[in-house]
Amino acid sequence: MMKADVSEILVASAISKTYFDPTFGENVHALNDISLSIKAHEFVSVIGPSGCGKSTFLRIVAGLDRPTAGEIRVSGNKVTGPGADRGMVFQEYALLPWKTTQANVEFGLRLKGVARAERARIARRFIELVGLAGFENKYPHQLSGGMRQRAAVARVLANNPTVLLMDEPFAAVDAMTRQRLQEELTVITATERTTVLFVTHAIDEAVFLSDRVVALSGRPGRIVADIDIDLPRPRQWSELARDPRFQQYRDLLTAKIERTGAHVEAHS
Amino acid sequence: MTTLTHARWSPWSMTKSLGRELLPFAVGIAVWQLLSSLNIWPPVLFPSPLQVFHAFVADLRSGALLTSLGVSLKSLGLGFLVGALIAVPLGYLMGLNRASRDFFDPLVNLLQAIPGLAWIPFAILWFGLGQGAVTFIIVMSVFFPVLHNLLTGIRTVQPVLVEAVQTLGARRMDVIAHVIFPATLPNLMTGIRLGIAFGFRSLVGGEMIASTDGIGYAIFNAQQYFQSARIVVGMLAIGITWLLMDRFILRPIEQRTTMRWGLMRDGLDNT
Repeated sequence: MMKADVSEILVASAISKTYFDPTFGENVHALNDISLSIKAHEFVSVIGPSGCGKSTFLRIVAGLDRPTAGEIRVSGNKVTGPGADRGMVFQEYALLPWKTTQANVEFGLRLKGVARAERARIARRFIELVGLAGFENKYPHQLSGGMRQRAAVARVLANNPTVLLMDEPFAAVDAMTRQRLQEELTVITATERTTVLFVTHAIDEAVFLSDRVVALSGRPGRIVADIDIDLPRPRQWSELARDPRFQQYRDLLTAKIERTGAHVEAHS
Repeated sequence: MTTLTHARWSPWSMTKSLGRELLPFAVGIAVWQLLSSLNIWPPVLFPSPLQVFHAFVADLRSGALLTSLGVSLKSLGLGFLVGALIAVPLGYLMGLNRASRDFFDPLVNLLQAIPGLAWIPFAILWFGLGQGAVTFIIVMSVFFPVLHNLLTGIRTVQPVLVEAVQTLGARRMDVIAHVIFPATLPNLMTGIRLGIAFGFRSLVGGEMIASTDGIGYAIFNAQQYFQSARIVVGMLAIGITWLLMDRFILRPIEQRTTMRWGLMRDGLDNT
């Protein structure tokens, strides 16, 4: 096995996944030999058509699913289960409905045994960072979808994970909110220097957010492209949407995936 | 329920909503009075509201009514406590541990088909006539609705909530304490409310057959002496006690837990 570069904070080696689908009563070969390294402070998106196994890959990184073959190492440690070093933001927000914004954001710190005053301070900082100041004492059902996802991001960031995992986090919000959340996320991850592994089916979202986009083929998912996105930051939709390089990246990725015979959406 | 939760607390809206709730009772009493005034049936078969009222005042004065109610509520409380104290830990054990669920599930499924009152013969054999037998019957009646609702609650906890806290560093005990337990509270409350309702029904039946005390026995006893008005007093006392308990204790507790979290669980409520 290769010796891991110290700057490579997350290393996936030859991940394959086959699972039994009880609905169709057959084995599904979801992922085929995925190897991928992510450097510290890098924002990497994994894209691919529906059912290509990109979410399965993310879940394997999170430790929520086990690979059939291969292994994940984060900061050199082999992943054997879920852990606080790999905080995940889900499409369905997954905030605890019986806790306020403040308590939700403090939750990971509370598990770590951080003192009350200290965790309140940290939580407030991240609540402010995601633009939820003033909503500390609201319960999730009192927040809009966009606000809930902001709270979910704050909850993971306050826990200071080695890598932030995001599974189509903006798929459930409306288009206007989604663009604003995407812009905010680029600012937050840049200031916090967060390492991010982001999964989406929307190519433009991946290009907009990422330093690097990894494209998977249709099932079984294997890497068909790994492209650095060399676009200036901070990024804003009003500028980037007209940037010819943005279009080129989008077209390139679309072509790469379509060549595998799968249909993809260019727009989120 | 809607009137209580959504009415603004102005004196006028309170009077209006109170009026709306009392109207059906007023109409019911009027129809009842009308029917008994027609003298179709003798009073022993169909006592009038006025006779019932007199019997009520008499039973209240003598203290008989409150004494029997007290005895009954004590059995109910004790039976509920014992039933719930067995059902709740067993529910969490079955809900969280595959092996114990596989073991207990068939037993529970068989036993829950047996009504609490079917335990009367054994209750009498084991505890003799009296409140001990009644309490046992209540335990058997409370146990299953509490267990069943709790298991439903545990089964319907959203997996994504568990996964989310796991990626925040939660261990199994954290997941149970911070996700499973709070997530199942609304179902637990529903189970408790149903359990008390089931227990209350068994209480009256149990006391009629297996006891010499309590409101159920009082009704049964009144029938032996053809004191029909006193039978109605007992029946109404049961109904009113349930209404008061449900309105002022059970529903507020249930609503506090569900409403605050924005989790309305309609459809679970089948009393």
